[in-house]
Amino acid sequence: MLSATGIVAGYRRGRPVLDGVDLGVAPGEVVGLAGPSGCGKSTLARVVSLLHRPWAGRVSVDGTVVTRFRHAAPASLRTRVGVVFQQPRLSVDPRFTLRAVVAEPLLAAGADRATAAETVAELADRVGLTGELLSRRPHEVSDGQLQRACLARALAPRPGYLVCDEMTAMLDASTTAALVRVVLDHVRDTGAGVLAISHDESLLAVWADRVSRLGGAGRPGAGGGQQEPPMTRGTQSA
Amino acid sequence: MSDQTVSDQTVHDQAVGGQAAPLLTVEAMSVRFTLGRPAARRVFARRAAGRGEVHAVTDVSFALRPGQVLALVGESGCGKSVLASALLGLLPANARLRGRAVLADPAGAPVELLGAPEPVLAGRVRGRLVGLVPQSAATHLTPVRTAGAQLVEAVRALRPAVAEPRALAEALADRVGLPRQALDSYPHELSGGTVQRVAVAMALAGDPPVVLADEPTTGLDRPLVDRTVDMLAELADQGRAVLLITHDLAAAKRVATHVAVMYASRLVEIAPAGQLFTEPWHPYTGMLLDALPDGAFTPIPGHPPELTALPSGCAFCRRCPDVPGYAPCTDDPGLIRVGDRWVAAHPPC
Amino acid sequence: MADPVPETTDTDNTDTDTDIGGGWHSAARRRAGTPRRAAAAAGRARLRGGVSLVLLGLLALVALLVPWLGDAAGQQVDYAAVLRPPSPAHPFGTDGSGHDLFVRASAGLRVSLLVATACALASTVLGAAVGALAGAVGGWLDRLLMRLVDTVNAVPHLLLGIVIVALFRGSLGAVVVSIAATHWTTVARIVRAEVLSLRSRPFLDAAISGGSSRARVLRRHLLPAVVPQAALSAVLLLPHAVWHETALSFLGLGLPPHLPSLGNILGESRRAVLLGAWWVVALPSALLVLATLATSGLAAGWRDRLVPRRRSELAL
Repeated sequence: MLSATGIVAGYRRGRPVLDGVDLGVAPGEVVGLAGPSGCGKSTLARVVSLLHRPWAGRVSVDGTVVTRFRHAAPASLRTRVGVVFQQPRLSVDPRFTLRAVVAEPLLAAGADRATAAETVAELADRVGLTGELLSRRPHEVSDGQLQRACLARALAPRPGYLVCDEMTAMLDASTTAALVRVVLDHVRDTGAGVLAISHDESLLAVWADRVSRLGGAGRPGAGGGQQEPPMTRGTQSA
Repeated sequence: MSDQTVSDQTVHDQAVGGQAAPLLTVEAMSVRFTLGRPAARRVFARRAAGRGEVHAVTDVSFALRPGQVLALVGESGCGKSVLASALLGLLPANARLRGRAVLADPAGAPVELLGAPEPVLAGRVRGRLVGLVPQSAATHLTPVRTAGAQLVEAVRALRPAVAEPRALAEALADRVGLPRQALDSYPHELSGGTVQRVAVAMALAGDPPVVLADEPTTGLDRPLVDRTVDMLAELADQGRAVLLITHDLAAAKRVATHVAVMYASRLVEIAPAGQLFTEPWHPYTGMLLDALPDGAFTPIPGHPPELTALPSGCAFCRRCPDVPGYAPCTDDPGLIRVGDRWVAAHPPC
Repeated sequence: MADPVPETTDTDNTDTDTDIGGGWHSAARRRAGTPRRAAAAAGRARLRGGVSLVLLGLLALVALLVPWLGDAAGQQVDYAAVLRPPSPAHPFGTDGSGHDLFVRASAGLRVSLLVATACALASTVLGAAVGALAGAVGGWLDRLLMRLVDTVNAVPHLLLGIVIVALFRGSLGAVVVSIAATHWTTVARIVRAEVLSLRSRPFLDAAISGGSSRARVLRRHLLPAVVPQAALSAVLLLPHAVWHETALSFLGLGLPPHLPSLGNILGESRRAVLLGAWWVVALPSALLVLATLATSGLAAGWRDRLVPRRRSELAL
């Protein structure tokens, strides 16, 4: 279970983006998270993927309470939660080839080059990248192809949980469908839990098992036309 | 693109009651980019030699009439945005163009956009005959001045004859549903949707008959997307012509009167929106619609071809041959007219 | 209806050129005005880069070959030929010890360039290390290091250099250290700024999430990104270092006399100039100015190439 309770987080003192948000993702479950622009969805994604230290509240991964974030969190805990960001172009090092992008987490975990290459080939196959595309650099591929590589990178350490922060917002319908299928296959094969953040309700309707909503101003369920109680105090289905 | 087309024209015009002449007519437009360094240096750059040319737009033809919202849809990287840049003369210097794009001017002689020199584009076309709604409105405005000041400046620049630019700016704000107090705010104080309205108001400052919206909804959430495209639809209702370039099929479905589908630099199907969404003729259109979450949610297998190495004939059938349920492929990439629809390579029998 | 082929009557009466229907034409020619100016500027920049490169090559050649051919090390003091004006035997005259100035100044140039390169490298390495550390770690370490940078900057560089050199008088190492210790701050600032701008990029978040350690992020992502900037600052430091070394040596605090740098030569010839022997300083000063211009011209050309232009030539 990836859970967050009473999360208060923000970037500037006195201006919390999230104010007392609860969230839980069980293994094998796809939880959708919807809400208007600027309501703190991305901040919540960064908190539960251990990239942003909340001001208050508790994050735990499979029962282990996370006390330190970013580099300070143990690598084994960080790799339990994979993350895919909205803008693929900003989330890869422009110097790397796509192959290096996908291989990086494997090499960081100490895999030797031969095993890493094997795993990269297998992952590339899953997300639908050809060997020729893998040898290119980010500026030589389209957004959709780059996001496939980002998803492959997130899946490389075989994470127990996957956070998809507006993963498909920049993508066309076909690539969206392809990537969501890959994520769902991963859930089926490994029993991973997924936090699917999107503003596209029709997408979440087919992707997520249940949908939580984040209201405006980071208050759980506040505002908006959606009459949903706070985030996981309810596990409301959409 | 044959004799058939011309002879059908009158019949078709009557069918739609289309006495309105097109505001924008694009004929066999192609855009190519030469990659890499100029030839002299290419000797040293190992990789540049093999890259050759990007065929970003190939033989695209369409006409845009008043009252229409023509949605140009397709996967990312199919050449949609290049088309918009070409029409506004914003292509980089390594681009080459062919064909013509004629823009009607209610007050003067038509302008041929692809060959027009920069002074004509800057002085007559941009803002005056064609308004641009940009992809990212927030980066389109300067952060150091209020939205209202920028809108007034646009009005002053585009319509120097107007005596009260501030009043006109306020009228424009009202027309796009922008609250007055938003005019006194700086762009970063406004929400994404409000900034998008400012951008639309600025696009309208020169009262252009044609509005070109290039991915105007990227990064907005669904209610904002709906509001933005509804606003574009209203512009069309006022007798303007709107070219909406987007990868968001749901947005296109919501407001488009006509849809043009682009694949691998070519248009593969043009049809009235209702007909296209209910009964696509080209297998690419069909599979693109199937990929929507409220459709079958099935991705199209394979990848679109590289624009540097486009196959000849029907590019989509090289990726996905013999899709069941569609007319057999004639392998002719030119658009064929059937009734008031156009389709490439897969005319219904 | 959006139909591909319009009636021909619609399009015949265009007012612009009519020969564009068939062939290809470039998108560049329509942009009147700016490209020509831009092309001229680009041409000038290329010319400057080329001239600088050729000049630096010539100077290096002179610094390498002339002392060797003229046997600079074996030159004896020749009191029969003291302070001779330029003549066929000594085209640039002789100095107060009767040395041929062409040979001696070339040897001085060699020493100056070598010292300057060593200084530039040392300050770049030091500065890059401090900047990368400050930027990557942040927090109190960043604040501490940046206040150190401010402190070093607040003291006049020459004064600080003089103190260091005075403590270890007359050694090559002391000169290199004194210049490196005063010039690393610029590099540190540049590298820190670069690292800070990289730190907030999502790709670093992705690397952290993928389990990369701090050291790995630094090695794989941050350092490769700052190398071009750091190398550029090294080249930009070269002319500074040349002048700094010259100033120290001119004040008699620089290199020991057996290593004739341009500064040494100029310092020794002060009195001779006052006696009217202008040629004693002519060649060393000219070489100093030329070396400065060549290195800064090269650095400027390189900087212009690094300035991020439009990322890609086409936006699809």
